[in-house]
Amino acid sequence: MWARVEAVLRVVRRISGMPDYAAYVEHAGRSHPERAVASEEEFYEEYLRARYEGGPTRCC
Amino acid sequence: MLRKFPWILVALAGAVGWGTLALHRGETISAAWLVLAAVCTYLIAFRFYSRFLADRVLGLNDRRATPAERLANGRDYVPTSRWVLFGHHFAAIAGPGPLVGPVLAAQFGYLPGTIWIVIGVVVAGAVQDFIILFASMRRDGKSLGQMAKEETGPVTGVLTMVAVLAIMVILLAVLALVVVNALKDSPWGVFTIACTMPIAVLMGFWMKSWRPGRTLEATAIGVALLLLALVAGRYVAASPTLAPLFTWSGLTIAYAVMGYGFVASVLPVWMLLCPRDYLSTFMKIGTILLLALGILLVLPPLRLPALTPFIDGTGPVFAGKLFPFAFITIACGAISGFHALVASGTTPKMLMRESDARLIGYGGMLMESFVAVMALCAAALLDPGIYFAINAPLPVLGGTAQSAAEVIRGWGFTVSPDQITALAAEVGEKTLLGRTGGAPSLAVGMAHILSGAFGRGLMALWYHFAIMFEALFILTTLDTGTRVGRFMVQELAGHVWAPLGRTSWYPSTVVTSALIVAAWGWFLVQGVSDPLGGINSLWPLFGISNQLLAAVALCVGTTILIKGAKARYAWVTLVPLAWVLTVTLTAGWQKVFAADPRLGFLAHAARTAEQVAAGSLEPARGARLIFNDRLDALVALSFMIVTVVVVAASAREWLLVLMRRRPAAANESPFVETAYVG
Repeated sequence: MWARVEAVLRVVRRISGMPDYAAYVEHAGRSHPERAVASEEEFYEEYLRARYEGGPTRCC
Repeated sequence: MLRKFPWILVALAGAVGWGTLALHRGETISAAWLVLAAVCTYLIAFRFYSRFLADRVLGLNDRRATPAERLANGRDYVPTSRWVLFGHHFAAIAGPGPLVGPVLAAQFGYLPGTIWIVIGVVVAGAVQDFIILFASMRRDGKSLGQMAKEETGPVTGVLTMVAVLAIMVILLAVLALVVVNALKDSPWGVFTIACTMPIAVLMGFWMKSWRPGRTLEATAIGVALLLLALVAGRYVAASPTLAPLFTWSGLTIAYAVMGYGFVASVLPVWMLLCPRDYLSTFMKIGTILLLALGILLVLPPLRLPALTPFIDGTGPVFAGKLFPFAFITIACGAISGFHALVASGTTPKMLMRESDARLIGYGGMLMESFVAVMALCAAALLDPGIYFAINAPLPVLGGTAQSAAEVIRGWGFTVSPDQITALAAEVGEKTLLGRTGGAPSLAVGMAHILSGAFGRGLMALWYHFAIMFEALFILTTLDTGTRVGRFMVQELAGHVWAPLGRTSWYPSTVVTSALIVAAWGWFLVQGVSDPLGGINSLWPLFGISNQLLAAVALCVGTTILIKGAKARYAWVTLVPLAWVLTVTLTAGWQKVFAADPRLGFLAHAARTAEQVAAGSLEPARGARLIFNDRLDALVALSFMIVTVVVVAASAREWLLVLMRRRPAAANESPFVETAYVG
């Protein structure tokens, strides 16, 4: 039951452009097991930079 | 044959929808026919045309790894499943444009808007979005400017970047003007929107410091507080002590919006911009779903005629004839150049498979077009007299309900003064007369639909809900746009003096933010103090700039097709390119040089000069109006020149490739086999 709720929340997060720390941890563990995993705060900062310092994220 | 059978049914249903729209003149028809015609056309176009584009023209290949797979970093390069990314992309592209444009264009009646929105998206808008998304996906998620530079040379690249910046300035000004006109002298609206600021800051600290990572929790609290603020707004508006505090003039709101844009640009994103973004995304998706459900439940009759007498260019909402101005006024919803920026931004970095680009690029734009159709329904269900009472400029209507009713009767629509005042009272406003900009009449239409579907007698609440929803996400486009503009100015200024180019250097941030706010603020103040309400002159300028950006994007798309040895299919972008150029260059020319002072900027300047000479206008004010007219003319001309140069440079490139004097090689990232199975 809880897993299903978590899956729905994940979809909602992704659609609204919110960071997904769990997905990042999973990715980091799988692809770069040798590197240290960023803390949630560090990840959030990096995420915001990647998202809002590029082109427009919202349209007219 | 059996598999095609359902599609024959869809085609027949669509034909019935279009037939009904075309044949019933002078009588009220149900919005159901409009929705039916649109949805069936979308289904057919998606099933057949987008498949043709995907398989034949672009050659999507699921064995080729996408940037999300190759460059996965868990942050921006994240493989995302198709429908989730569809939602993400839709939330990014759908903004105030497709809601406001169709409402304004309803002055021609509902038919021209419907045809352009539905046909335009199928052959132009969705094609543009799909091809740019595809091109960016094949280039590791590069932006439109970078692609223009790589495919057609540095001049085109720089011109594209300058065009994007200039368009952003006009876009932000006109959107801010829509907010100003919706909120002026409305304590309920101002209070609700003002509340979003502290709510956002609270959410920001919640997500950053108190409960890191709990973004959804913070947003749920934010949405709850916002709805509370909406309900509380009624009591603020009714209170004799609080109401004056939140009753702001247009100019005051204009400066407040500029202040907000500046603050949001210089503060760290986590504090204000990002939480407001989440808040507005939730409200946006929620409200659009609610509106779709409401329209399907109510299926309102369309009271506006299919065509009004104003197709001859005498309309009060904006000047100009059906051609080209219907196609300029409805920019987003049919084709929006701005989408090319989003389609070459975050979305291409999240595609899991190449074939997903079809649903997300083409399908996402069809969905936006449907939003435009809903907005058109919401405007067309209003009594035409009421529609013009809200959307015609105040000086044209005279100050009172009596004078307005008389003027509108002169246009051939009946409305009584009582109807006008009763409606304003019903939605909890002092007056709705001359609230130009589209947002208020859309809110009245939405309030009709939503109260019809979900709760009668709550008109005032639904009206202010709709106003809040519009202002909320217009301000989100405004703050993210200001910030993006700031980065662009910093990048350009960095060439002049290196420290200005450092985005982390605070003085540079402050100076460049002030610069960009001052730029759009200039046009905003010009619009607010315009005697005819400003939408008249600024919205066409926005439409022209947005469509010219689309022309630039379609040029890049054509170049990519020709260089990718797909020249025989280049018509898929050349046909919409030819149309968009014809429409925008005609409209631009008329806006600058038309002899009618209502339409042409220069003619208006000349008439103002005459008025000053005759002594009927104060010289200082006259000088300012003349300066603004000339500035608008200059802006329109510059857009046209930049576009013509980009088209010419691209055409030269196409010829060189076709004559084999230049290698037909697009700068795609090398092929890497996907590791995904199935």
